[in-house]
Amino acid sequence: MWAIWTSAFFLSNMVFCGKTGDALNALKTNFYDPNNVLQSWDATLVNPCTWIHVTCNNEDSVTRVDLGNANLSGQLVTQLGVLTNLQYLELYSNNISGQIPDELGNLTNLVSLDLYLNNLSGPIPQTLGKLQKLRFLYDTIPFIQYCCTTWNSFTVRLNNNTLSGTIPVNLTTVNTLQVLDLSNNHLTGDIPVNGSFSLFTPMSFANNRLNTPPPSPPPPLSPPTRGPSNGNNATGAIAGGVAAGHH
Amino acid sequence: MLISRIFKVVVVSCVWLLLSCSLSYGTDTDIACLKSIKESLVDTRNYLNSTWNFENVTEGSLCTFLGVECWHPNENRVLNIRLSDMGLKGRFPLGLTNCTSITGIDLSSNELFGSIPQNISEIIVFATSLDLSSNNFSGEIPSSLANCSFLNVLKLDHNQLTGQIPGQIGFLGRLKNFSVANNLLSGPIPSSFNSSIFTKESFANNPGLCGKPLSPCV
Repeated sequence: MWAIWTSAFFLSNMVFCGKTGDALNALKTNFYDPNNVLQSWDATLVNPCTWIHVTCNNEDSVTRVDLGNANLSGQLVTQLGVLTNLQYLELYSNNISGQIPDELGNLTNLVSLDLYLNNLSGPIPQTLGKLQKLRFLYDTIPFIQYCCTTWNSFTVRLNNNTLSGTIPVNLTTVNTLQVLDLSNNHLTGDIPVNGSFSLFTPMSFANNRLNTPPPSPPPPLSPPTRGPSNGNNATGAIAGGVAAGHH
Repeated sequence: MLISRIFKVVVVSCVWLLLSCSLSYGTDTDIACLKSIKESLVDTRNYLNSTWNFENVTEGSLCTFLGVECWHPNENRVLNIRLSDMGLKGRFPLGLTNCTSITGIDLSSNELFGSIPQNISEIIVFATSLDLSSNNFSGEIPSSLANCSFLNVLKLDHNQLTGQIPGQIGFLGRLKNFSVANNLLSGPIPSSFNSSIFTKESFANNPGLCGKPLSPCV
């Protein structure tokens, strides 16, 4: 009974590791790699943790893929969604085309999604609204709150592509979103301003085809509330203070 | 023939100029911004000297400076500056005006003095977070802060600010965290400060300040 359990455990582990290796290999197959940056990506290895530009944690789970500025072209693959422990997906500054796979919404441990400066087209997946790092625990411990909310900051940079469609409104519910750059795309529709998006200025959305609302003039200021005595409260307080000082 | 050639060259160079202007929000200006900040502040603990090196500036080298966070790691465009508790002495660094893409400014817990610039909304147009708390700032709270419409956080507490609180500031639509506590402010708190984010703690310890949510003015 014990033997069956342990062998099942090891088998399932191998299968799991094999899955992440397979996923990354599918990515490699879909890429044109003239600089041979993916040379170390050996499909015969079950565990991709030895591959260059791939980082794992001490449980052999892939946590980073660093392929920024690597002259890669081709398309992303849906299998990327299998890398559920992935924290950093760095594919910026390449020539990657095609769409952003919906499956990236399965990467619930993601803290940095950098697909900027590519040729990506199609919409921003609605599924990205699922990416919410649990942080309620940090919020309840005052000392840790500042450090960990800044360390936990979620960065999404999709700027400088040819993404179209509207900005998924559910992104406003990703309350750890700290840095957002959607500039220089072909996005249309409205710019959300609620939830996490209250942190984002026109710079995050510049150079698109989005509806820019006219700046609202500040509401008229109603006369300041005055105390029951004479209107000059400030002088009254100072006079009182001076008088007290004389005693 | 020659005229049409010259015309083509002029058109192409104009287009190129326009393109480069729109693509980069100001890399050179960000370098000038940080240089100016370093020059205008006394770095009493030598914290800036170690990493704020302008000798060999390359694309993205500003992003490695202590306290500087960039929009993108390989582009000198400053997103946030966090210089809290760095022993910095001096006036509000006006050079910030050249960090044209900056959103977050944290200069809290230093020894900054003088007044907060009257035209602050022109200096930090897109500020989402401004923390000047725990310094020695004096003078009045500039009413132009009301034009910093993207402010989520405005912390001016623990300074020596005087005068009344400009009412328009209470209408800032994105404000989530606000404090002017522990200053020398006076007069009635304007009625515009009526949303739930403005608590007693936001205004506490200003001997001359009165009105909701503090005790009524007499």
